[in-house]
Amino acid sequence: MADISAKLTPAVRTSVTLIVNFAKRETKTLYKRSILGWLWSLIRPLSTVLIYSLVFGVIYRAAPPEILNCKTEPCKAESFALYLFSGLVIWNLFTAVVTGSMQWLKGVNELRKKVYFPTETAILGGAVSVFLQSLLEILVLAAIMIILGNISWTFVYLLWALVLAAMFGLGIGFVVSIFNARYRDIEYLMGILLNIAFFLVPIVFVPDMVPEEAYGLPVKALMNLNPITTIVGISHDAVYFLNTPSIYDMITSSAWAGAAFAVGLMYFRRRSMQISEEP
Amino acid sequence: MEPAIVVDNISKRFRLEFNPPSSIKEAVLRLGRRQKRDFWVLRDISLNIEAGTFFGLTGHNGSGKSTLLRLIAGIHRPTSGVIRTKGRLSALLELGSGFHPDLTGRENVYLNGAMLGLSRRYMSQAMDEIIEFSGIGDYIDAPVKIYSSGMYVRLGFAVAVNVSPQILLVDEVVAVGDEKFQQKCLEQMNKLRESGATLLLVSHSASLIRQLCDTAGWLDHGRLRKVGDPSAVMDEYQEYTAQTEDTVLTARN
Repeated sequence: MADISAKLTPAVRTSVTLIVNFAKRETKTLYKRSILGWLWSLIRPLSTVLIYSLVFGVIYRAAPPEILNCKTEPCKAESFALYLFSGLVIWNLFTAVVTGSMQWLKGVNELRKKVYFPTETAILGGAVSVFLQSLLEILVLAAIMIILGNISWTFVYLLWALVLAAMFGLGIGFVVSIFNARYRDIEYLMGILLNIAFFLVPIVFVPDMVPEEAYGLPVKALMNLNPITTIVGISHDAVYFLNTPSIYDMITSSAWAGAAFAVGLMYFRRRSMQISEEP
Repeated sequence: MEPAIVVDNISKRFRLEFNPPSSIKEAVLRLGRRQKRDFWVLRDISLNIEAGTFFGLTGHNGSGKSTLLRLIAGIHRPTSGVIRTKGRLSALLELGSGFHPDLTGRENVYLNGAMLGLSRRYMSQAMDEIIEFSGIGDYIDAPVKIYSSGMYVRLGFAVAVNVSPQILLVDEVVAVGDEKFQQKCLEQMNKLRESGATLLLVSHSASLIRQLCDTAGWLDHGRLRKVGDPSAVMDEYQEYTAQTEDTVLTARN
């Protein structure tokens, strides 16, 4: 650890140390004064899975997507709840990063007026802490899949999908957090937009259910353009269907996430100086 | 000798908006009818501070001293001109500069160190000295939000001076704390001088600047009015202050 840090340039080393510090702080203060503590990180997503599988799986009787290369007969993992869960981990991380970014910037605003430090480290640190919570979620997911006998080495692709979701979320988070520093409306607006966006991504439904065209719009093509759709698809493949995700999907979603991250960071670095000057 | 701080012809403008819109709705409604005013807080400042110099900066309230310090610390960017600093810079600008209320004193010390680019290991080694110097004792493991204002400043100061800074920026905080602590601060400053560090101190106290500094500067309404020997600068500054007070008194009568 010490040897690695010695080889980095001073500026990078400062940023890395700060990211670690902010991540620790975020993790430490997150479930302060709660009895169940980090268990909440599991209870929340599990409750969402429960509600949606109740509504869509039980009431609407949505058929669980068929797992073609299932290892058990009959296929025990073929359940709507598990399909849902494998997409939801991606979505949860994405939204936690986007909404968190605005809070993390607000949290260091006062600090930033008193000392200079690269402000993006606060957001990156926050993202690291929610990423670690996502790892908890996927541990539970992995445990369930192992019990049901529906697991394969493709599971590692889920980690890459999580990294992409976090990077894409950061790209958006960097920009909206700057907007939000000026106009607090953005926070509320993003809450609504993310609620809508949730239903534009195949998480509570299967892509095959979506018509090619509706109201004269090529809805399916539009849905597939969304990088989050692709990332969720990678997760479905990796965890639920146990397919190797397509190279094309991997490349396009990585390019999207990388570009969003780079552009967002550049914008953030240019504007964050001005934020600290506002009274 | 090489200068530790180079301030090259900088100016700083703050664009203040009276009654800025607080929501998008308001911003759209008032499009093109926003009242903005420019304030030039600093104008054409050039200053070279040699490494190892103790520099005292004085001036009236609102003369731009603190802004200049913030620019050098990198918190703000100059509107025009360039600022260069050489060496590790540690700044103590306000009460409890850079402390996060929810974290304990100890965690804040690590966070502060991280901002200075110091590793956890380095800070662990400096920790005992920092606790000792601040006189905070067991409170180091309590969240800083329960600290008294004196404890805040003492811990802030202890961190700033115990990380062996090459450049130290201090904004009138030495006056806080009891006499014993003030004495400790002065001793620490002298140690810093021996280590070859550069100090930039903002203060209203003529005696402090005379006692501690090698060079002094006087900022007046955003312009650097005089730089030179502390006694000469402070004499002129005090004379000017007395004069303007006289004028005010005469005008009142």
